Amino acid sequence: MKKTFVLGMSAVLLVGAALAGCGGSGSGNQAANSGQTAAAQTSAAAAAGQESKAASSDEKVTLTILAGQSTTDAGIEDMIDEALAGKYPNITLEWECVDWGNDFQPKMQQYLQSGLPDIMIGKAQDVATYAPLGVLAPIDDIYLDRGLDAARENVTVDGEAYGLVYNALYQGVYYNKTLFAENGWEIPKTLEDLQTIIDDCNTKGITPFASHMVDTWSIGNVTMQFAMNDVFNKDPEWGDKFRAGTVAFSDSEEFQAAYQYNKLIYDNTYANTFSMEQTDCDAKMVMGEAAMKVSGSWSIQNFLDIDENFDFGIFPFPNQTGDAKLIFEPNITIMTSAATKYPEAVANVLEVLTSDLELAVEIYDYTKTASMLKDVTPTFTNPSQDDIDRYAAAGQIVDVTLGNNQLVWGGFQEENAKDIAAWLQGDGSFEDALKASDGRVKASSATK
Amino acid sequence: MFKNKNDRQYLFLVLPGFIIFTIGLILPLLLSFRYSVTDWDGIAAEKVFVGLKNYIDLFHDENFLNAWWFTIKFTLGNTIIQNVAALLFAVALDSGIRCQKIYRTALFVPCLISAVIVGFIWLRMFSNVLPAVNDWLGTNFNFMLFGSGKTVLWGLLIANNWQWIGYWMLIYLAGLQSVPSELYEAAKVDGANAIRRFFNVTIPMLAPSITICVVGITTGSLKVYDLLVTSTRGGPGRASTSVIYQTYTTAINGRQYGYGSAMTVTLVMALLLVALIQVKGLKSKEVQA
Repeated sequence: MKKTFVLGMSAVLLVGAALAGCGGSGSGNQAANSGQTAAAQTSAAAAAGQESKAASSDEKVTLTILAGQSTTDAGIEDMIDEALAGKYPNITLEWECVDWGNDFQPKMQQYLQSGLPDIMIGKAQDVATYAPLGVLAPIDDIYLDRGLDAARENVTVDGEAYGLVYNALYQGVYYNKTLFAENGWEIPKTLEDLQTIIDDCNTKGITPFASHMVDTWSIGNVTMQFAMNDVFNKDPEWGDKFRAGTVAFSDSEEFQAAYQYNKLIYDNTYANTFSMEQTDCDAKMVMGEAAMKVSGSWSIQNFLDIDENFDFGIFPFPNQTGDAKLIFEPNITIMTSAATKYPEAVANVLEVLTSDLELAVEIYDYTKTASMLKDVTPTFTNPSQDDIDRYAAAGQIVDVTLGNNQLVWGGFQEENAKDIAAWLQGDGSFEDALKASDGRVKASSATK
Repeated sequence: MFKNKNDRQYLFLVLPGFIIFTIGLILPLLLSFRYSVTDWDGIAAEKVFVGLKNYIDLFHDENFLNAWWFTIKFTLGNTIIQNVAALLFAVALDSGIRCQKIYRTALFVPCLISAVIVGFIWLRMFSNVLPAVNDWLGTNFNFMLFGSGKTVLWGLLIANNWQWIGYWMLIYLAGLQSVPSELYEAAKVDGANAIRRFFNVTIPMLAPSITICVVGITTGSLKVYDLLVTSTRGGPGRASTSVIYQTYTTAINGRQYGYGSAMTVTLVMALLLVALIQVKGLKSKEVQA
């Protein structure tokens, strides 16, 4: 009898557990709002705001904030807290800081089920992923107008901007200006020019390229840099055509060239690149053991921490047609939840972020990044700024969000990078790597 | 219903654990199975039923099959090395050598460190410390074990065994100390030398400990993840991607939650099967004094 009771209770519990999991409409309730229009969401948010409006100015409010950070961003949360406390002492930010590359998307997936934080800090490409789900609130023009126009385009979905781009990175080939001057090397504009420098480096015992391929993301990053100047410059819709089946990696000479540049770097970099961490790699570059590094502004912080007098510049990795552009990447992008209970408090945070110029300069100087706010210029000495200004003046800058929106990072670029690494190591063929990329077509877009 | 007050008390004591077990283990497993028959991306509200398609696709997924192959090699390596080394260390410590408490502590301490930290430590050891020792000694050993797909498995085996040998050694030590000394004396009287006593007395009497260690090491190795995250990140390429690492990147980073759930369910089934086979097989070898 006792056995029967226990077995019966077990069965009830199991059935109850299964039924609890069956509620499809119960889970993903944030995403279930995807049918709502942006206007309806704004109204909903405004209505929610009105409920709390009367008490918002004095009432203590705690806003949750998920920050997907790059290596250079860790620490800005303290600066923001301090600035916010000075103007809105009743608002407290409850930070959850994670690595953007590995953990931001998993966290967003989790919170889409349980309720998004009030504020999310990611990258511009995240807007294309989450805005179509109807979970982000449009950013008010008051705040957007304080930012550069260049920042708006790639965070705009169906005419509404759902992200506020705060700073930007530049990506390209960082080079040791001293080594270049000593050896009489000019900035290469073509692949032949680059090969001449590589050959000279090898002759003189200088490692041509610093790299840390143990970080697969670095392979993915440089591949997209190459693709921006060899693929997307010719065909800005290559990603859409890939999904439509009209182009493929296996057939695209341009994408194959982009992949092959990885081999050029691998053949001319440290022997232990697959064991070397970024900090060690950057240290060797600063100490003059390598002449160039295909990277982004995230390396500047390391460079200047190791040697504040390190003199470096930047140029775009040459492409097949000799017209390569410097890569620009909107970095810290602030998004807000469409379902926040404290829209006024969220607006106050955006107010501080866009109007507190001292805070902005402090963040830009700390992260060694470029400003995306109007009339705000970092004060740190960026040895590569002259090069950046020159490319900007010549109109030779391209926004990498174009490529990142068409071929997403998580599940696609990242996985392709692993296949490239396997090919470079000899664990797979070049054709295998291309074929694997083609096989991943469904994962190439954030939206189905 | 219950014959006496004790039955009700037993039920009362068992119930909280049972509820936690159901919510923490059974429910997630059932949900995993439910998601595994859909094409859910982990974000959308809709979960389209696809039947067993995900399971069929698994058998054609080269990356998944390679992840299994790496995990099996890692598991076999760990099971053999850790069991043999832990047993030998336990025998040595049980033999009455000097400073055995120091040796025991030194061997046990690494298992108190998180696998995440162990990954960091050995990445630095192989990338910086040991190459520096090479330079200092003027030798030319290849310590860049994490830098090549051909040597990465050995590097991970070294790191993992460094961490866990001490833990299993304690289990063997406890087992050794519970072997009745009369058995050894009787064996000596019968003319058995040290090696024969080891194989004919020690090993049979250690069978329960061997069962625990083999099952524990095998199931633990099949679930390797933390160590990979901070050391090799599944690389170079995919050379050290384990089943769980592949499942995580597929389900979470790749936004293929349904497909990743199918991977999870197959892993759980495999773990249960392996544990069942091992326990049944090893239990039959256990002897009583």
